[in-house]
Amino acid sequence: MNPVVRLLTSYPGRRIGQALLTMVLVSITVFAGVRAMPGDTAQALAGEQTSPEVLSAIREEYGLDHNIAVQYWDYVRHAVTGDFGTSARSGLPVLDSILDALPITLELAALALLLAVVLGIGAGVVAAVRRGRPEEWLANAVALLGMSVPTFWLGMLLVLTFAIAVPVFAASGFVPFGEDPVENLSRLVLPAIVLGSGLAAVVMRQTRAAMLDAMSSDYVRTARAKGLSQRSVIGTHALRNSLVTVITVLGLQLGQLISGAVVTEQVFVLPGFGKLTIDAVFTRDYAMVQGVVLFTSGAYILINLLVDLLYSVIDPRIRLGGSR
Amino acid sequence: MRRLPIALAAAALLTFATGCGSLSPPGENTAAAPRLVDARPVRDGGIAVIGLKSDPDKLDPSLTGTLVARTVFTSMCEQLYDVDRHNRFVPQLAASLPKISDGGRTFTFDVRRDARFSDGAKLDAEAVKTSLERHLHLRGSGRASEIDSVQKVDTVGPYTVRLTLKHPDTPLLGRLANTAGLIMSPKAIAKYGSDFAAHPSCVGPFKYVKRVIGDRIELTKDPLYYDADKVHLDGVVYKTITDGNIRLANLRSGDVQIGDQMGPVEVRSGMGDKTLQLLNTPSLGYMAVTLNVGNAQGIDRKPGRVNTPFARDVRVREAFDLSLDRALINKIVFQDMYEPACGPVPPGTPLSTPVTCPGRDVGKAKRLLKAAGVRTPVPLELMINTTPEDNRLGQVIQAMAKDAGFDVRLRPTEFATGLTRTLAGDFQARTGGWGGQPDPAGNIDSLVGTTGSNNQGKLSDPEVDRLIEAGRSTADPAKRRDIYRKLTAAINRQHAVIYLYRNINYAVASKDISGIALSGDGLIRVKEAGYVKGGQG
Repeated sequence: MNPVVRLLTSYPGRRIGQALLTMVLVSITVFAGVRAMPGDTAQALAGEQTSPEVLSAIREEYGLDHNIAVQYWDYVRHAVTGDFGTSARSGLPVLDSILDALPITLELAALALLLAVVLGIGAGVVAAVRRGRPEEWLANAVALLGMSVPTFWLGMLLVLTFAIAVPVFAASGFVPFGEDPVENLSRLVLPAIVLGSGLAAVVMRQTRAAMLDAMSSDYVRTARAKGLSQRSVIGTHALRNSLVTVITVLGLQLGQLISGAVVTEQVFVLPGFGKLTIDAVFTRDYAMVQGVVLFTSGAYILINLLVDLLYSVIDPRIRLGGSR
Repeated sequence: MRRLPIALAAAALLTFATGCGSLSPPGENTAAAPRLVDARPVRDGGIAVIGLKSDPDKLDPSLTGTLVARTVFTSMCEQLYDVDRHNRFVPQLAASLPKISDGGRTFTFDVRRDARFSDGAKLDAEAVKTSLERHLHLRGSGRASEIDSVQKVDTVGPYTVRLTLKHPDTPLLGRLANTAGLIMSPKAIAKYGSDFAAHPSCVGPFKYVKRVIGDRIELTKDPLYYDADKVHLDGVVYKTITDGNIRLANLRSGDVQIGDQMGPVEVRSGMGDKTLQLLNTPSLGYMAVTLNVGNAQGIDRKPGRVNTPFARDVRVREAFDLSLDRALINKIVFQDMYEPACGPVPPGTPLSTPVTCPGRDVGKAKRLLKAAGVRTPVPLELMINTTPEDNRLGQVIQAMAKDAGFDVRLRPTEFATGLTRTLAGDFQARTGGWGGQPDPAGNIDSLVGTTGSNNQGKLSDPEVDRLIEAGRSTADPAKRRDIYRKLTAAINRQHAVIYLYRNINYAVASKDISGIALSGDGLIRVKEAGYVKGGQG
C-alpha cells in the first residue's frame, strides 16, 4: 500500500483528519453563533450616544455590512495567514492579545493539572488501600467538598483568607515566570488550587474505583502470591493498570479545566483566555471572541487527540483501528 | 394595597442580605458628605494601581465612547478645558476661557505655550486645529456630532485658535471640557492615523507604555509634562476588575490602591475598613424611566403615534409618576447611598436651581387614571437591564405602581439587545441613565428635543423645543439659569422622562495614598497623587 494512503487510513491519520474537520466545524459554528446573538453589534460597540455615520463607519470597518458567508470567507482567508483581525473595542490586534493571554491560562491549567494529579491520584490510592478506615472516609469527604464548592465562592474565600486576613499571597494579577519565578508561582498558587480542586476530586474518585477494581483482580492476587512487596503490588501492578482509566478521565476533564479558568481568572484578575473571552463576549468584540474560541477549541481538540494516541502507548492491548 | 409593604419588605430583606454578604460590617446608613480631595502631603515615587469597573475601549479621543476611557485620559490626555470641583469650567490646555463674539458665533482662545506632547511635539494652535479637525472629519468619529456647530477652525496666531460656528452654541464650552476637548499629538496623528489608539500620545502627567486588553493599561511619568514638578508617582496602572466585590478585596489586600466607580454595597462595606478612605461626588447625570410616547418607527424618524395609554394621555403618565416614591426607591434599592432626582439639571452646577421632588400621591394617581378613562390595571412593559440593581429597581417600581392601578411587567434585557429595541421604538418603557455634563444643555437637548439624537421616547413638545433653542443661543448665565428652570418644569409637565435618582460617584482608596482628586464630573485625577510617608510604593 502507498505509504501516504497507509498514513491517512491508519488510526493516527484518521484521528488527525477528524481533528481538522472538527476545527472547521467549530469555526463555522462560532462564526454563526456570535452573529446570531440578538442586538446590533455596531450599535453595541458605539454605545448609546452615537450617530448613523459612526454606525455605518463601524459596519464598514469591520466588514459587518457584508453577508455572513463573505464575512466568514474573509475571516478564514486572513486567519490562515495568522491575521485574526483587530479588536473592534480596543483597536489592537487580536493575535497579540491571544499571545499575551495564552501562556497565563496554559500555566494556570498546568499547575492545576499537576495539583489534581498529585493530590487526586495520591488520595485515590490511599482511599483504596485503606478501604473502610478513617483515611478513606477523609479522602471521600474532601473529594465531595472539592466537587461541590462553587469556584467563585472558593476563590473569594481563599482571597479573604490568604490575601487579606493572612497576607501570604497576592489577591490578583500575574507576573511572568521569566520576570520573577517566585512571584509568578506565588500568584498562581491560589488560582491553581481553585481550578484544580474539582478535578482533583474527580481524579481521586476515579483512581480509588480503578484501584479497588485492580486490587481484586487475578493478576494482583498472583503478584501477592508470588510474594511481591505491598509497594510493588500497588505501584507496579495495580496503579499502572488503573492509570488508563484515570488518563481517560483527565483527558475529558481538561476541557472543563479550560472552561473553569473563566471563573477563576475573573476572581483572581488573571489576564488569561477565560477573562479575554468573557470581556470579548460582553463587549461584542467579534474578532476577539472568534480568535479566543478557535484557539481554545484547537487546544481542546489537540488534547483529545493526544489522549487518544496515548492510549495505545500506555496499554499495548488497546488497538483502536488501523493494523491489528 | 397590602402587597406593597410585603414587596418592599422583601426587597429590603434582599438588600439587607446583600449587605450581609459583604466583606465587613456596614458603615454609616446614609451616603457620606461629598469629599472630593485628599490633600495630605505625599512623597515622590511608587506606582498606583487603579481598579476600573470595565475595560476602556479605544484609547483614541476621536473614536472612544466610554466614560472609563475618559478616566484613563485624565492621566495621559489633557483637554482644552476641565471641570473643577465646583463644576465650573477652567482652562487646561487652553490658556484662558474663550472669548465669545459675533453673537455667539465665534470662540477665540489661546493655548498654553509651555506644553509638549509625550512624543516631543510642541503644543500650539496648529496642533489644536489638527486635533479638532480630526474630531470633526475622521470616519467614525464620535466627536463629530458633539461639535458639529463648528464650521471652521483657524489659527490666528501661533498660540491662538478661532472657532467659527454655524450658529450660536453656548454649550460648546461644556463639550470642549469633555472628550471633544482632548488634544492629540499632531506627530502621532500623522504617523499612526486611525491606528492612534495603539500609540496614544497627548499632553499629560503620564504617558502611555503598554496595554494588555482586558487586564491593564500601564502609564509612566512624562518628564516633558509642563507641570511635572507636581507629579509624584512614577507611574499609574489602570487595571480592569469588573466585579465590585473583587475590586474591594483587592483594595483591602493592597494589590489595588484606588477603586473607581464603586457600587453602594461595596461602599457600605468599605466604609467599615480602617485602611480605606472614601471620596465621592454627586453625578452630573441622572437615572430615569423613559416612556415611549412617540418612537413608533425608530429614533431617527419623526415622532409617530404609539398606541398605548401612556403615549395617548399625559394624565396616565402623571399618575405613574405620582405612584413612585423616589426617597424610598433610593433607600431600598441603593441603601440610601444615592440621591433622589426629579429633573435633568444636576444640583451644584452653576446653572441649576433648587427643585423639590413631588411626593408619592396614590389617591391623586387613581383620580387621574379615572379622569383619563382607562381600564385598570393599566399594563406597562418595563424594560430593565440584567443587573441585580436594575432588577431590584424594577421590582420596587412594580410594587409601587401596582397600588395606583398599574400592572408593570418587567422585561430584563441584555444591553445590546435592549439598545437595539429602544432605538427601533420597540419598547413601552425602559430604565436607563445618562452620564451627564455640567452644562444643562448636555443633559437635555439631545434627550428630549424633538430632533434630539438620543430622544428615545420621542417626546415632542413645542414649549420644550423653544426653551432648548433659547438655552443654546443665550450666553448670559442668569438668563440661562432662568431658561433651564422653566425648561425643567416644561419637561416634567410631560412626564415622558421620569427622573428618579442621581448616582453618587464613589471612589474608594487606600489610606496609604493621598492627593487624589475627584472632580465634579466624577473622574478620578491622580496627577498630584502619591504615597504618604510610611506607605508602600
